[in-house]
Amino acid sequence: MSEKPVVKSAEQLNDEMLSSLRAPTWRWYLLAFFLGVVVAFGLYAFTHQMLTGMYVTGLSRPVMWGFYIINFVFWVGLSHSGTMVSSILRLSQANWRRPILRAAEAMTVFTITVAGLFPLIHLGRNWIFYYLIPYPNQRGLWPNFRSALLWDMTAIVTYIIGSSLFLYLGMLPDLAVARDRSRGWRRKLYGVLAMGWRGTAREWTVFHQASTLMAALIIPVAVSVHSIVAWDFAVTVVPGWHSTIFPPYFVIGAILSGVAAVITLMIIIRKAFHLEAYLTPMHFDNMGKLLLVISLLWTYAYFVEVQTTWYAHEPIEWEVFSFMAGKYTPALLLMLFGNSLLPIAALCFRRLRRSIGVMLVVSLLINVGMFIERFLIIVPSLSHKNMPFVWGTYRPSWVEISVTAAAFAGFALLYTLFAKCFPMVAVTDVRELEVRETEVTMGRADLPSIAGKD
Amino acid sequence: METLGIFEDLETSVRAVDRLIGEGFAEEEITSLSSVPYPDGVIVRTDRRTWFRWLTLVCAAVGAGAGFLLGAGTAWLYPVQTGDKPIVAYFPVGIITFEITMLFALVGTIVGMFIEMKLPPWGERPYDPAIAEGCIGICVTAPSAERKNRAEQIMTETGALRITAGGRP
Amino acid sequence: MKLTSPYKWGMVIDLDRCTGCGACVVACQAENNVAICDEKEIAEGRSMHWLRIERFWVGEYPEVRARFLPVLCQQCGDAPCEPVCPVYASYHNPDGLNGQVYNRCVGTRYCGNNCPYAVRVFNFYPHRWPEPLDNQLSPDVSVRPRGVMEKCTFCIQRIRRAKEDAKADGRQIRDGEVRPACAQTCPSEALVFGNLADPQSRAARLARSPRRFRLLEGLGTHPSVYYLKGGGRENV
Repeated sequence: MSEKPVVKSAEQLNDEMLSSLRAPTWRWYLLAFFLGVVVAFGLYAFTHQMLTGMYVTGLSRPVMWGFYIINFVFWVGLSHSGTMVSSILRLSQANWRRPILRAAEAMTVFTITVAGLFPLIHLGRNWIFYYLIPYPNQRGLWPNFRSALLWDMTAIVTYIIGSSLFLYLGMLPDLAVARDRSRGWRRKLYGVLAMGWRGTAREWTVFHQASTLMAALIIPVAVSVHSIVAWDFAVTVVPGWHSTIFPPYFVIGAILSGVAAVITLMIIIRKAFHLEAYLTPMHFDNMGKLLLVISLLWTYAYFVEVQTTWYAHEPIEWEVFSFMAGKYTPALLLMLFGNSLLPIAALCFRRLRRSIGVMLVVSLLINVGMFIERFLIIVPSLSHKNMPFVWGTYRPSWVEISVTAAAFAGFALLYTLFAKCFPMVAVTDVRELEVRETEVTMGRADLPSIAGKD
Repeated sequence: METLGIFEDLETSVRAVDRLIGEGFAEEEITSLSSVPYPDGVIVRTDRRTWFRWLTLVCAAVGAGAGFLLGAGTAWLYPVQTGDKPIVAYFPVGIITFEITMLFALVGTIVGMFIEMKLPPWGERPYDPAIAEGCIGICVTAPSAERKNRAEQIMTETGALRITAGGRP
Repeated sequence: MKLTSPYKWGMVIDLDRCTGCGACVVACQAENNVAICDEKEIAEGRSMHWLRIERFWVGEYPEVRARFLPVLCQQCGDAPCEPVCPVYASYHNPDGLNGQVYNRCVGTRYCGNNCPYAVRVFNFYPHRWPEPLDNQLSPDVSVRPRGVMEKCTFCIQRIRRAKEDAKADGRQIRDGEVRPACAQTCPSEALVFGNLADPQSRAARLARSPRRFRLLEGLGTHPSVYYLKGGGRENV
């Protein structure tokens, strides 16, 4: 076996990839503190709303759903990041997935957790939220499973449990590595979580089969979760909502926003934990290609939806669409730019895909566009429903904006805590590739090759 | 009785396995411990058949029943007329059944995986933290003390860094 | 939809008689403990009226015309607001009414979004009746807390009282015996309430009039409220 230019020992690889597990610096504490402050302010705003009344929001008749539901749909959409990126790349045995998996899977778990809070936040009487939970009670009451909101609840519970198990499963061998390298309370924590993993050949065999099976199982769950969220809107008689394309359209939008968010996170993690050697321009190149495909799909779905509305020109539907396009023109244009024009234009070029700066801008703008898209689906349709006498508008209040900011900060805080306590890169997965990389002499050339099946 | 030899890299561990097999140890009695998976046969060959996926299937079936009871059963127990919809409606029951099926299947996969791996373990098993840093362990399950000593001797001769019987992961 | 009760309550609103005076709105507010809203709340779009007179101005001065329409809960046969409530707070009662259970409502507001007539109102504010206004509260009707949806019930408390009286006498409710507050108050008798399942009741006979139309019929909600206007709905 001939020498590769730089051969790092396993210990060196472990050190670099697990660098985030070292004791936190003052910068980490400062970040956690700042995020904690934003979360605390959001909690204060929510408590204020719960104690005084829903009038502190911008909601009214007819726009009875606003920022909270926009956030709910947005965060559920983001949660498709991990499952789609991780599962699809695992099942298609793409080797470049290896450094990305952990970040994506962790993102899924934390975004769906944040998303699951919003149905509780937006209730008019949050303190009796348990009426929604199906449990036998002495009054003999059950909740209504014909309501799309109950499908939401079932799907989100399934997805939270499923994605947490998926994340945990992927982490299992890495937790064993972390266990062996640490002391004190960390050693105990990793020891319990690693469940006594030794890395025997048999354990690895079972592990691989379980990973593949989990990846295959979690994809239908992810698709169903966002379809169910789409049905919250599609099964109503609200003009502009009652559209059969909503479930596929929402799923595509979710994958778009999720993949973009994974790219954003990858860029941040790469910088914060000095993982430049592991998250290379090649990875961004490939993620960029994936993003291009999804962006094209989203553009197609949006075009289809608008085209049928325009052509049939059904009075109420057309009224809703033209109201939206008229009142929210800047937002609409920004959304189209961020979700379609910029990604398709930029991601066609290899040089731009490989540029970290360009990928950061593109991915951030996609998520801005997706948030606007959720807003433009929910608010204009409700503003101009069937009876013109009760048409109204909506503007978010400080409470809703604070809670939104707290959601972002809360997600970032959870992620920061996770990155400090758990391996942020799939250590064993990356090292597996290094171990199997070899050089094969074919004809006159020495070609790099990866030994064995994936 | 299990005994574990720690080897610095792939070549020395493979030499040890070759010697052990040459001395009459069965392939099933030898296993490798590594922090990265090596393709099957590189160090040792293992039985690649597993049964835990049947547990996934069983749990999925149980989940389907549970989901049906949740969607249809609760509606039947507490019938309230809403709109023109039937009390037990196809699509909602179908959706809830699907979700709970998948939930049970996912949990069943993890539980089955751990059961098949026999984790968490009951007693102490030999392990060494050097394995996490890239060393490879060769673990021999010997039927008698005499065979165990012979295995330890072979592993020392072929370049094991150390032999350990304890260490508990 | 199965009819398991001898009653199917409905209302006929004769727009040729309606003057748009708004007495029905006031009567409803008085009878059903509807909250008192100030100008600020109404400007925010948070009025609590169960019954509203929709008024549009058409034309330019001096050929200006007011078009108006009293809109209340249509008590739809296939109500879009019912299946979407996750806790069964909105349900269909055997009399054909859409019932709202205040103490079950958790305030998801899905029903409010799905009502095409936008007749459902939500208690954004915790409403108060400063003394001595609380003396006017009807004891037959709950006072709703904040966070709960409410809407016109066809004065179900009056229907219940009439049912009790009728049961005590061993008979059915007679036509005209129960009148919601709006129908009772209308000075031109434009609002007629009755049992549409009884073909001889006044409401049922009026509902067969050739002047009849219903709101948003294309949505398939099967409303129980019929409007009458000579020349049809375009002439309103």
